[in-house]
Amino acid sequence: MKVMQRTNLSAEGINKSFSRPGEHDSLKVLEDIRFEIREGEFVSILGPSGCGKSTFLNILAGFEPADSGHAACCGERIREPSPERAVVFQSPVLFPWLSVKDNILYGLKLRKNGRNEAEEIASEYIRAVGLDGFWDYYPSQLSGGMQQRAALARALVLRPKVLLMDEPFAALDAQTRYSMQQLLLGLWENYRHTVVFITHDVEEALLMSDRICIMSKRPGRIIEEITVPFERPRQLSLTGTQEFSMLKGHIFGRLMD
Amino acid sequence: MTVSNWKVDYIGFVLPALIFTAWYLVTLEGGVPAYLIPSPSNLVRVAVDFATGHANLTPYAGTLLVHTLASVQRVAMGFGLAVAVGLPLGFLTGRISLAKSSLDSTVHLIRIIPGIGWLPIAMVWFGVGENTTLFLISLAAFFPIYVNAAQGASSVPPLLIRAGRMLGANKLTIFTTVIIPASLPSTLAGLRLGLGISWAYLVLGELTGVTYGLGAVMMDARMLGHAEMILVSMIFIGLFGRISDMILVGSFKRLDLLREENKE
Ligand SMILES: Nc1ncnc2c1ncn2[C@@H]1O[C@H](COP(=O)(O)OP(=O)(O)OP(=O)(O)O)[C@@H](O)[C@H]1O
Ligand SMILES: [Mg+2]
Repeated sequence: MKVMQRTNLSAEGINKSFSRPGEHDSLKVLEDIRFEIREGEFVSILGPSGCGKSTFLNILAGFEPADSGHAACCGERIREPSPERAVVFQSPVLFPWLSVKDNILYGLKLRKNGRNEAEEIASEYIRAVGLDGFWDYYPSQLSGGMQQRAALARALVLRPKVLLMDEPFAALDAQTRYSMQQLLLGLWENYRHTVVFITHDVEEALLMSDRICIMSKRPGRIIEEITVPFERPRQLSLTGTQEFSMLKGHIFGRLMD
Repeated sequence: MTVSNWKVDYIGFVLPALIFTAWYLVTLEGGVPAYLIPSPSNLVRVAVDFATGHANLTPYAGTLLVHTLASVQRVAMGFGLAVAVGLPLGFLTGRISLAKSSLDSTVHLIRIIPGIGWLPIAMVWFGVGENTTLFLISLAAFFPIYVNAAQGASSVPPLLIRAGRMLGANKLTIFTTVIIPASLPSTLAGLRLGLGISWAYLVLGELTGVTYGLGAVMMDARMLGHAEMILVSMIFIGLFGRISDMILVGSFKRLDLLREENKE
């Protein structure tokens, strides 16, 4: 069924160290990261806290340079942030002085879309994330989950090739997180953007992704890649099956190594 | 919310009422003589006459408008100059480390000198009156505007900037669409301080000798022994200062620039 498409995002031999406050040597955070993701693929990155997941995502986003190695998107070297690689952060990071609508229009306006066209596109995505009726609300007037929906719409409205997500649902309660996961999957089925999804949550990774990359403790390396074998759409009941628990147990084991 | 606002308003009237009563009492027959502290009723009559000129109570009858226009114009020009220089320099210092390292310590060094300390040299450079007043206003208003704009610009959350960048903003559009709006509350605080100081230095400058202006009226009235006119001028200066502050804040609200402030 699945058509294997072109490589969309790739990283080769990425190394990254940070200087340590008050010490002479530096802290090695990423070591020789190799990573590849095909167009439309949904890949999760799992790893112990502090292993460098966010650092890696920041390099893919173009927020920070790697010390060495090579990261590319659609064959072009990543040098700076671009709407091709939209980011959803752990916190919504909406512009508090703009309404939901203007937050979502922000990127479209920079693109110089015509006002009417932009509003039409924006309203499509506002509806897609279930925020119609909240156009004129300001971020401070929304719940955390709604803010994250707006952040998702703000990223998707630019039709990015890649969606980079850094524990986007970690701050939400269990029910909201579940509905956000469903929402994200629905949008992904629809728009088929590539997703890099960082999470702490093994079940979340198994329910959402095509493939899971497991990172080691710092300095982070990718120590295993698992192709998730379950058919989509995946029901919550899947978590009760033996295959699911075995895979989950295996991943937990690797994270503890 | 509205209810508690009303309560606060009532409480706000208590102190002025007490002051007013005390003032009234000391000016009663046998109290402080009128050439030191005029009675409230006399003051009100003189103030109205200052505005309308209907009773010719003082040599200043009916001249409020010309003096006010002269003063307002000086404040507007001096404050405007301070804004035109202070805001851009403040934003630059807040965001660009080269600007900060080359500018900031010098500005703060100059800031230590009290504004009043510039009066003698300003009079040497600009003569008495008009230009000295403009110079003093701009100089004094510059510092709070600069400092607060820099402070606001430097404390914009880095994640907001990253968000703007990944949505397609370049360095320049980040400045106009993220840095400036994110630092507005701090910037406005600086502008309000600067505007208040402008009125203070207006009076200082006008005391050095201008023909028209509320400060000139005060100085002139002192020589002619019209204590009530000094007080009336002070009240009008306070009033116009307050009104100008309300216009400043109101125009920010009107432009819908202060959403964050209205957080529920
Ligand atoms: N700008 C920085 N300067 C110095 N050290 C940094 C910087 N950013 C990250 N680090 C260090 O790099 C390491 C990895 O950080 P990173 O945020 O990538 O971890 P993470 O895997 O995302 O962790 P978590 O799951 O808790 O979010 C940490 O030890 C952190 O202290
Ligand atoms: Mg992280």
